[in-house]
Amino acid sequence: MELELFSAAFFSALLAIVLIDLVLAGDNALIIGLVARNLPKDTQRSVIFWGTFGAIAIRALMAILVVYILDVPGFMLAGGIALVWIARKLLTPEENSAENHLVKGPATSFVGAIRTIVIADAVMGVDNVLAIGGAAHGSILLIVLGLAISVPIIVWGSQLVIKLVDRFPSVVLLGGAVLAWTGYSMVVREPLLGPWFEGHPATKLVAAVLIFSISLAPWYAARLSDQMKPLTVILPGVLVWMLAFEVAASVWKLQVDYLLATQTGEYILEAGRWLGWLPLVAGYLWVRERLELRRQHAAGG
Amino acid sequence: MLLIRHSQRANNAVRTTSGAGELFVASVVICMILASFGDAVDPALFGEAGLEFAIFDFGGEFTVLTMRHWHLIQLLLAGAAGAFGVFVLRVFAAGFIRILRPAGRRSIDKVPIGL
Repeated sequence: MELELFSAAFFSALLAIVLIDLVLAGDNALIIGLVARNLPKDTQRSVIFWGTFGAIAIRALMAILVVYILDVPGFMLAGGIALVWIARKLLTPEENSAENHLVKGPATSFVGAIRTIVIADAVMGVDNVLAIGGAAHGSILLIVLGLAISVPIIVWGSQLVIKLVDRFPSVVLLGGAVLAWTGYSMVVREPLLGPWFEGHPATKLVAAVLIFSISLAPWYAARLSDQMKPLTVILPGVLVWMLAFEVAASVWKLQVDYLLATQTGEYILEAGRWLGWLPLVAGYLWVRERLELRRQHAAGG
Repeated sequence: MLLIRHSQRANNAVRTTSGAGELFVASVVICMILASFGDAVDPALFGEAGLEFAIFDFGGEFTVLTMRHWHLIQLLLAGAAGAFGVFVLRVFAAGFIRILRPAGRRSIDKVPIGL
């Protein structure tokens, strides 16, 4: 789908890309510094230049690839689900955030340093590129603009981004919400699921609430009391249960609409759909409480 | 590692975000879910039931059914307007409740009502 230039849809997609670039920007400067710190001074300068160039090149290559990959049936759904996970990870506070797992230690050669920088950027940038690919709706211009925005952040803008999110942490929450929204739009745009969503329009709302309830769980879990915390599992679980019945009805041609049910089996199925999750939730709460008591007992003894 | 992890406040955004910021993002999320609701219902069915005009229509454009066409900018603006509305309501409600609260025994003579 090509977006009309300078339309509300175009600027909205651009805004989503800017937000995604801000919250998913990786720390390339730190990686280059870690990798190049033991190299001679003149080699360090070359590593900084070629490392940055390699990082930008790999980002551009991945951005081009993601446009074509998202056109393959099934990948839009996979990308949408991946964005839900990325949004959740973004909102989950990280302990020991100063540690870097991508770089094991300083490089001993120029080629080794460049290889480490490029691989680290590819790993760090894959979520960014995927999210931009989803938000760009297949528009090459928006992908290029997304790159044009992320490259200065890679090269010069890290301190600015840190200052911005430190002053306004709500940008991170908004970024998580935009990632979830992009994930939802990718799931409903999946060509394999298009006809199914047309036949089951109400499931779009269930899918949206499911995606937001999973993606934003770290946020609302932080505001819930300990007694209410199981909601972060129960709410998505019940929505998955409801969706599963809709999917089963389509796959095995079952009647799950109580207004159209005529046989005893169909009424039982309907009862299972609306009440079957209750024993599961009770079981989950019981197991959770037992585990909590055991943990407290172990901590006390 | 993400840049936001360098900032303690941004790394822990779920706890450090201000009330106003949270209200704004929550309003935007509600608008997004409403937009997906507009996408999920059959407009013809909703129109027949008359529910749209009874509940959601605030003058044509601002209906849940038209929200399906809204883009991120519109959702952000609607979220900001919603958050501002809730903020104003909260200020008025707090002022109203303060008026209803009885004065303490020690400050009874400061109440400007002659008994």
